[in-house]
Amino acid sequence: MSLFAFFGTLEIGFIYGLVAIGVYLTFRVLDFPDLTVDGSFTLGAAVTATLIVLGYNAYLATLLGTLAAGAAGLVTAWLNLRFNILHLLASILTMTALYTINLRVMGKPNVALIMEPTVLTPFESLPLENMYLKVVFVAVCAIVVGLAVAWFLNTQYGLAMRAVGANTRMAQANGIVVKEKVYVGLALSNGLVGLAGALFAQTNGFADSTMGIGTIVVGLAAVIIGQSLFASRSMVVIVLSCIVGSLLYRIAVSAALNADFLGFTASDLNLITAVLVGLALVFPQLRREWKAKHAREGKQ
Amino acid sequence: MIRCENLHVTFNRGLPTEKLALRGVDLSIDKSQFVTVIGSNGAGKSTLLNAIAGDVSSTQGKIFFDEREVTRLPATARTKDIARVFQDPLAGTCGNLTVEENMALAYGRGSRGKLKPALNGKLRELFKEQLARLNLGLEDRLDAEMGLLSGGQRQSVSLLMSALQPSTILLLDEHTAALDPKTAALIMDISSQIIAEKQLTVMMVTHSMRQALDYGNRTIMLHEGKVVFDLSGDERANCEVKDLLDLFAKAKGDGDELDDDKLLLGA
Repeated sequence: MSLFAFFGTLEIGFIYGLVAIGVYLTFRVLDFPDLTVDGSFTLGAAVTATLIVLGYNAYLATLLGTLAAGAAGLVTAWLNLRFNILHLLASILTMTALYTINLRVMGKPNVALIMEPTVLTPFESLPLENMYLKVVFVAVCAIVVGLAVAWFLNTQYGLAMRAVGANTRMAQANGIVVKEKVYVGLALSNGLVGLAGALFAQTNGFADSTMGIGTIVVGLAAVIIGQSLFASRSMVVIVLSCIVGSLLYRIAVSAALNADFLGFTASDLNLITAVLVGLALVFPQLRREWKAKHAREGKQ
Repeated sequence: MIRCENLHVTFNRGLPTEKLALRGVDLSIDKSQFVTVIGSNGAGKSTLLNAIAGDVSSTQGKIFFDEREVTRLPATARTKDIARVFQDPLAGTCGNLTVEENMALAYGRGSRGKLKPALNGKLRELFKEQLARLNLGLEDRLDAEMGLLSGGQRQSVSLLMSALQPSTILLLDEHTAALDPKTAALIMDISSQIIAEKQLTVMMVTHSMRQALDYGNRTIMLHEGKVVFDLSGDERANCEVKDLLDLFAKAKGDGDELDDDKLLLGA
């Protein structure tokens, strides 16, 4: 793998680290499997790219892209909480609707950001090559956001949100308003995914209506890889392990694609993803089984 | 302290499975009174507790805490006044949060969660102090996952949690039923301590007639959604389990055999 390709891998890894943190919030914290992210990733990118092309400040555009994606999360939460639509189904409905909305936002299937000012523009005068600058920028974004989310989950409010996902009845008996926590959690999660989309559009120079397909699988892969490697109760470790999981996932994928003897091409990406996620899911269970077996044999 | 006026609760109203769980309960409980609630399965004991806690909404009648009407108040808003311990030890705590996180949640009961750290050194000291009372060695396991504790340990922590915030009402719903006799005795012991110390107004549902008479200072029996008898003072002091069974048979009507094994076995 060339150095250029490696840094590209890291850059994507950090961006999807934000997705992974969002997915962690829904799947793990709230126990609310949310597929909205496939649409909200694109929404974040589409809104941001469109506004930048229209001449808006890149930071303002990124903020608005993030907020739009957060609003998409609210729609899913509303469908689930107000009308009792199954969470998975509610999120699929929102995701499907977002495909059209994203096309409407952009007015065409994709928007190019070549030569447009982006969030990176103010830093381009720094004596740092563009390739490195992008990685440093997204790394700082991902880590700062990760630490902020970890801090949030340790606050009274964040702890209440974790209780809602862990034991709804207990949460209610302790005066926690469950619905409010689900709304806030979904908005936050999708907002983070939208932010990832906005950064992706700006570092890669485009927003595309199909860019969000498979976002959920990648995010989930990162969460599962991260958590199977770092068993910890510390929120900081857990949230940062989402980012590490995302990086490892990207490195594994690009290693697989780059290993000539395996003969994979770029079109094999989805199969590789599925196999990697499958392995990450199976691994902790195999380890448990092996340990249990080992312990039995050891006693005899 | 707690007053129910003509309280009715109907489940599945208008459906073939309609069930009249409470049919006009009139009950007034004074401050610091400890009421034990007995009755056979389906008599409405848990429904009464759930109605007072706000988990179940009443179809008719009113509920007051002191002079405040709370009939329409949602459960979460009533948690300022009410602490609860459930029958299932897994229900009262979060298995995948740590002991200290669970306690921090209970510490914040009734207040809106704020954006400030849920735990700090001072709180940990308080939690340690409280856990030490249990003599279960839990004070050294603040950061252990709740799910790793035994049912009895979890129920003990649930009890402590119910007393972390000053509340006035404690609702115990067969909170020792799922435990072995030794642990159940320990839990009852701690319950009595906390109740006496905080001068709580208590309603305790129990299946054991013995427990119903040994603890508290008033006993009521529910049958088919109504209070069928209400004992306190000397009348209660002179009452034996056998008398209670007789009262129960009378309340149910002549010729109606007592058919609830649990009630007898629990005695």
